[in-house]
Amino acid sequence: MTLNSVVETDFPEEFVEEMEKSNDALPRKIDANPKNVEKGLAKLVLTLIELIRKLLEKQAMRRVEAGSLSDEQIENVGETLMKLENKMEELKGIFGLKDEELNLNLGPLGDLM
Amino acid sequence: MKLYTYSIIDSSKQITEPIYGLEGACVYNIPYCDIGAVVSEFTESVQSKTEDGVLAHEEVIERLMESFAVLPVRFHTVFDGRDGILSMMRSYYKDFRNNLDRLRNKVEFGIKVIWPSDKIKEHLINTYKKDNEKVSIPDDSSNKRFIKKKFEEYRIDEEFEKKANKFIKVMDMFFSKFAAEKKLKKLKTENLLLDGVYLVERGKQDDFKEAFEHIKGPHTGAGFKFLFSGPWPPYNFVILPKKSDLLEDSEQKDLFDKVIQHQDLVGADKI
Repeated sequence: MTLNSVVETDFPEEFVEEMEKSNDALPRKIDANPKNVEKGLAKLVLTLIELIRKLLEKQAMRRVEAGSLSDEQIENVGETLMKLENKMEELKGIFGLKDEELNLNLGPLGDLM
Repeated sequence: MKLYTYSIIDSSKQITEPIYGLEGACVYNIPYCDIGAVVSEFTESVQSKTEDGVLAHEEVIERLMESFAVLPVRFHTVFDGRDGILSMMRSYYKDFRNNLDRLRNKVEFGIKVIWPSDKIKEHLINTYKKDNEKVSIPDDSSNKRFIKKKFEEYRIDEEFEKKANKFIKVMDMFFSKFAAEKKLKKLKTENLLLDGVYLVERGKQDDFKEAFEHIKGPHTGAGFKFLFSGPWPPYNFVILPKKSDLLEDSEQKDLFDKVIQHQDLVGADKI
């Protein structure tokens, strides 16, 4: 008995596009070689900083949701998060990195973000 | 001599009917105990990382599946001679044997679903704005307005994910009825709602396909797009423990890593 494998879809191009997008965003390895070692390292470091920034932001949103922040605390948290976001944008610009590049595939553990 | 490897099979006997692999090379079995590694001889000058090469690799495994339980090996896995293969088989015989028993008479199907994420997000934003009175965040400074905007995004993202979980749960309920195992990935991109693989007994293939048609019909009108593929050899269901750190021989580590590299999908338990 042969398998007679088939691929059935009415939208092949759209699926190819989505799969390419997901593969582009999740390199299995940091691309570091003598020519672009600076960018490769920056990508790794910025990915980790971005992870921490997102965790901080999420924690802050949970506290806002729970109503446990005073007016003054909201002001302070807002200022901190805004500065962090601006600094990240600046660093991404310097190293020519896009948002979707700041991620890592951790194999069986899934994606970092 | 380099040996291009297609699959581990549950037989130590020679393959009786002629099968031709990459570059038309004759395929044969290298036995180890009661299992074997199916290979063809390969010269480094041959460039087979082409579409034809992929198809030839797949065809060999499909032919083998007609007669044996198989553990498909990743495309373009090349071992350095017979000793290299036998050394790897010796180290992982028990794992290969367990996988062969588990995957016998089972095939893999892939299901991908694109959903109308833009429309869904737009609907969530409108709903959020209507209910916004419930959330009282002051906006008398730029810092507070920033928090207000972030909070809106946070709530919408949460609802977006909840919706995705709900849709996947419904679809998976139908597919899981006929599947022995599954590996699902949710929202690999904002549009790609589901990227899943299901391990299905050969006898349940038709039921599985029917379940797919049952799901596809009513969702297609609502802007969902589907891709169904299979049956395939069970590429994504070979489970091997990551033992490479325990190996002292660095060459053997490399060989083992080659064999297990294709295990890159995560489980469905997060959904």
